[in-house]
Amino acid sequence: MKLLNFKTKYDADASGHFGPFGGRYAPEMLIPALEELEREYLAIKKDPDFEKEFLYYLKTYVGRPSPLYFAENLTKKLGGAKIYMKNEGLNHTGAHKINHCLGQALLAKRMGKKRLIAETGAGQHGVAAATVAARFGFDCTVYMGEEDIKRQRPNVFWMQRLGATVVPVMEGSRTLKDAVNAALKDWITNVEDSHYLLGSTLGPHPFPSLNRDFQQIIGYEVKQQIQEFEGRLPDMLVACVSGGSNALGLFYRFLEDSSVRLIGVEAGGEGVNKKGRHASRFAGGTLGIVQGYKTIFLQDADGNIAETHSISAGLDYPGIGPQFALLKDMGRVEFSSATDKETLHAFNLTVKLEGILPALESAHAIAEVIKQAPKLSKDKIIVVNISGRADKDIFIVAEALGDKDWDQFIKEQAK
Amino acid sequence: MKKIKLMTHVVVGYPDIASTNELVKAMEQAGADYVELQIPFSDPIADGPTIMKACDTALKKGVTVRDCLRVMKTLSDQVSTPLFFMGYYNTVFHFGVEKFCKAAKSAGAYGLIIPDMPPDEEQHEHFIKACRTHHLAQIRVVTPASSSHRLKLNAEVSDDFVYCVSHFGVTGSSVSKKVGFESYLKRVKKYFKIPIAVGFGISGREDVRQVEPYADIVVVGSAIIRIIEKSQSFKRALEEIIMLIRSLRA
Repeated sequence: MKLLNFKTKYDADASGHFGPFGGRYAPEMLIPALEELEREYLAIKKDPDFEKEFLYYLKTYVGRPSPLYFAENLTKKLGGAKIYMKNEGLNHTGAHKINHCLGQALLAKRMGKKRLIAETGAGQHGVAAATVAARFGFDCTVYMGEEDIKRQRPNVFWMQRLGATVVPVMEGSRTLKDAVNAALKDWITNVEDSHYLLGSTLGPHPFPSLNRDFQQIIGYEVKQQIQEFEGRLPDMLVACVSGGSNALGLFYRFLEDSSVRLIGVEAGGEGVNKKGRHASRFAGGTLGIVQGYKTIFLQDADGNIAETHSISAGLDYPGIGPQFALLKDMGRVEFSSATDKETLHAFNLTVKLEGILPALESAHAIAEVIKQAPKLSKDKIIVVNISGRADKDIFIVAEALGDKDWDQFIKEQAK
Repeated sequence: MKKIKLMTHVVVGYPDIASTNELVKAMEQAGADYVELQIPFSDPIADGPTIMKACDTALKKGVTVRDCLRVMKTLSDQVSTPLFFMGYYNTVFHFGVEKFCKAAKSAGAYGLIIPDMPPDEEQHEHFIKACRTHHLAQIRVVTPASSSHRLKLNAEVSDDFVYCVSHFGVTGSSVSKKVGFESYLKRVKKYFKIPIAVGFGISGREDVRQVEPYADIVVVGSAIIRIIEKSQSFKRALEEIIMLIRSLRA
């Protein structure tokens, strides 16, 4: 086995605690299902046949390895470190989410489950979940905040074509965290025949470790690919972080390579000094226990979850994956944030210079690269994760850029 | 045959704080043996849409944990029915576990029902310990999915009675998936040598009749909030709630 049995000194203990974070703070209704999932998780980590099947579908269905690409024009423009892009946007379904969806679908099959439940923010996880459900013969229900349905309508359409039932969530802020609540409740109700295909490295144990293990393929490939390009390790890895699935996927295999700087980029929204208008957990977040795990949450004085905002639905979430909370505490991962404005600038630059359309989530990471690269000498190497492509963001980008032709087109279509 | 006891439920501050006070007093007069005062929380994952909306309304009105403690104090001075705080662990954790338990006790709470704080996390949280220190009854919640191991684990740390969720689902959902009460509650009784409360989806006399042979306490929550939701005035709702409570064991 080369992939799933990998371990680091930053991993959870047997009860799912990453130092003071993580754990399994679930109501009793969910604990039997989480225990069952944990047993299977521990079993597949040691099962070469499972890994073989996982790798087979990653190659033939997802299209891995995804390319590592030298962004020559952006490198020249910024005038500093060499910038490489790991392009997860070229995966089947257009983002890294398919990696853990595939893994969890194979796991659900092993457990004899008939139905998959998923939550989604940007819709990338929802589309990937609906895709594996179609491929492996599961019924599928995807919960999506009403606000996000408006923002990411194309993904809703594709989920429905793939046979999934998309349920709009009208509670709370009507975004990702409310979709997680709704999915958890569905699971509580249908725990016997359904698997909750949770979409990030968050939630109660074993989800944070489980999804990380399926996503580590990203960094695993980068380590080989950068060796072919440069014959050495990169100096810096950059990725956007909400729950943390793409970032941990890129970073995990480098955690114990202390020469590699790791930077996670949170959603700065309209600015981290504007309360309720960003989703940067490390700008004002405090320790809390919500949705089954302990981590840093944006919350009010009574522990109620605060409103968040980001131009990207996928980063619009109030809690950070527990392993990242630990990695920040230990000083292994640095965090910064990018505002909506910086993100749009990074998006435009990448499109024009490299002909790559990064998802708005991923454009947050590029915004950080724009800040970092000029400060580094030309012999330094940065790898940035393009966690997904921007097809889903067409409405948001068109509106944010004030594209009149598009606006006209939409109005005509509406007739 | 012994008469089954009744625990009713309110969300503090729904529809407003004055009504909560009135409601709990009326519940006692109508014959409730215990009342749960739920502290509104933004992400109540064990609750269905009815209680969730009530929490939301209360929070939008600005109801705080301090308000809940004040309501508890007011009511515990006026009623003799044991009053519980029901809530989610982040509320307790954020207030400070020790500090919260102390405040709840001095406000007159009889005990706490916190469904998302499993005994497995006690070594990190010292929540059960704080309940003991401050003499608060700490009520465990179990479900039809709970294995013998889970029942045993919860039984070891539970006080007064055990709260059995009647079916697979969240609060307020109807008891559509029958789980075979008899064998489920028999399993519970094997590990818990204390009274059995059954809740989730109990809304009328018929539901009570179903659980009566196996349970000591029945819990009604969402059904009461639904009456408030639908009524044109709180006064009318109150009358209807009193009628419902009286009818449950008639």
